[in-house]
Amino acid sequence: MRLPRGLVLPLLLATLAPGLALGQTTPAATPDTAAPAPAALAPAPNGLVYVLNSGEANILVLDAATREEVRRIPVLREVHHLALTPDGGTLMIGDSGANEMLFINPGTGEMVKREPLSNPYHLGFSPDGKHLVITSLRRDQVDLYGWDGQALALEARLRLPDMPSHIAFSPDSKLAYVTLQGNNLLTAIDLQTREPVWKLDVGPQPAGVIWHEGKLLVGIMGRDYVAVVNPETRQVDRRIKVGRGAHAIFPAPTRDGKPGLLYVTSRVDSRITVLDPATLDIVKVLDVPGGPDCVSFDPQGRLWVTQRWIGRVAVVDPETGTLENQPVGRSPHGVLFQPTAAPVPVAAGASASPALVPAPAAGGVGLVAPAAAAETPPAPVTEAAPAPSRRLFAPRTH
Amino acid sequence: MMDAIQDAWNGLNGWLFEAAVQPALYALGLMAWAEDAFDWMDFFMFGLLQVAIVYAICRPLEAWKPVERWGDRRRVRVDILYTMLARLGILPLIAFIAFSAMESRLAGLVADSGWVPPTLETLVPALREYPLLALLTYIVVMDFGEYWRHRFQHTFGWWWALHSIHHAQTQMTFWTDDRNHVLDDVIGALWFGGLALLIGVPPGQFPLVVIVLRLAESLSHANIRLSFGAVGERLLVSPRFHRLHHGQGRDLANKNFAVLLPIWDWIFGTADFRRDYFPPTGDGSPADAPVHGGWLRQQMVGLRRLGAALTR
Repeated sequence: MRLPRGLVLPLLLATLAPGLALGQTTPAATPDTAAPAPAALAPAPNGLVYVLNSGEANILVLDAATREEVRRIPVLREVHHLALTPDGGTLMIGDSGANEMLFINPGTGEMVKREPLSNPYHLGFSPDGKHLVITSLRRDQVDLYGWDGQALALEARLRLPDMPSHIAFSPDSKLAYVTLQGNNLLTAIDLQTREPVWKLDVGPQPAGVIWHEGKLLVGIMGRDYVAVVNPETRQVDRRIKVGRGAHAIFPAPTRDGKPGLLYVTSRVDSRITVLDPATLDIVKVLDVPGGPDCVSFDPQGRLWVTQRWIGRVAVVDPETGTLENQPVGRSPHGVLFQPTAAPVPVAAGASASPALVPAPAAGGVGLVAPAAAAETPPAPVTEAAPAPSRRLFAPRTH
Repeated sequence: MMDAIQDAWNGLNGWLFEAAVQPALYALGLMAWAEDAFDWMDFFMFGLLQVAIVYAICRPLEAWKPVERWGDRRRVRVDILYTMLARLGILPLIAFIAFSAMESRLAGLVADSGWVPPTLETLVPALREYPLLALLTYIVVMDFGEYWRHRFQHTFGWWWALHSIHHAQTQMTFWTDDRNHVLDDVIGALWFGGLALLIGVPPGQFPLVVIVLRLAESLSHANIRLSFGAVGERLLVSPRFHRLHHGQGRDLANKNFAVLLPIWDWIFGTADFRRDYFPPTGDGSPADAPVHGGWLRQQMVGLRRLGAALTR
């Protein structure tokens, strides 16, 4: 809905543009390995990439292989986060300012329906697929919905100040965990009694949270670490320093029964820190300019990353260290790689100018797993995703 | 071309945010507000851009075809200061943010009842498919609101006490648009921001609405002997149209209140479409301070006049 600023910018910007190094990203540093020479990425397999332009009120759908625009779906206000239904058949995207939930066919990018729904910001399905939890960052509310595979039914609306942000679940689907950005808390909500059962101070402005191997990992945006929370003792066991503005954690999908690496975005230091899933030690650091926010994985194990502050989406190959990016829209937030059987035809009216820009990125650790990821409920992501790749929920952050 | 410009703008904003604003937020423990700050910074940059665009358009026109020529332009300088304070002073944004927070809380309360607040697009579904039409609709509604705010500035004594500072300028240029008492600016920001939220202007479009109205206002104040012709004068506010409103004399000041669309004056019987009339400007008051004084002095005069109006 929001129009391109270009409509009103021409005069000054036309003179500024040449000096702005259009399409250029900053060279990435490689703390652990020497920077490889820039190399073009191999084409991705068939798929669609959804990019939620939160500052521009539209959803950009790219052909993953060509990176051309397939369609651009107008929305009313601000889209931030998304989730696939447990059967993978529907992509749900919350338009928070417009009080709407959008239901999209993930294989084609077509809008199926819209439903009025109070201020959806972050959303996630419980691992058993029976509950959908939605946070409203601006309204200090957390809504618990029942999901029967067809429709949502509001079960409870909890007042949870201050600024409820991201969501995770226990594997048994009994508890939902929500970060409260405004008052440094992580809170646990019992999905049966629909009441908060405990809270824990985890650090300033907690954002992303995931369940991982019996622990909760929380990105502490006001600091530079991931807090490792033991939900049994309700204590912070450990703090892993990853970079200022630690934001959200994205687990690569499991491969051969082994958990994938963990990718942590840091928005102030503009980097993605890769953690070993077993030890949580730092494996390497990928520098991704422009405030990396959400991550999705394609079947080749590459990361699709929204670069929030510079209006681009980057594709990062963690093995070769190559990063390519392209303009997508203003303040891109959630992102999802959705595999498709065949290329999806470009919709009428879509432009096709990918303008890819290779840039050297971080050196890479061998990351081979096809992946899907999500900052949201990890369980459904890893289990429900069909071969060859997994789907993913894209994440978010505030 | 537009995509490249857009990308350049995003790149510039992103660089500025990452280099200066975000580290400051981090240091101050305000990272929870990073996204709002990003929007704010964008708005601030937009203010700079507005001034640049207005200058690039209006200054050559004023040099080409001025209504008046002045050897001494000192009186214009204070208007330049007003412009910088207003356009970079983010008053409308402050109001919008304040209203946004309030609106969110209120909406949260009503959401408890199960009611979901509508938007203009839910009331007029056709607008959903036509973003440009929706933007134009917002602009028309906001312009209508501005017409009435302007009329009230001339209707109520206390409001005129503040607005008279704007009318005191005898060397009216495109800079004069922002020559307002700060209290008048605050009221205007609340009015504008409140109406924007009432009709559901998307936050992303708000700056566009602002810039369209601001460009129109700046051009209409410019010292240019320019009329838009018999038809054009009825479609858009011209320098001629608005200069008449600034003409000395109460009868003139009660004409041509519109900001962007003269149709409001047409409808409500306040239009004066004489196309050959370019009167000297000013409020005709013998007081010196509002005309020749500096910014602070003019603000004090406004306050005194306000006090007098309220105690009269």
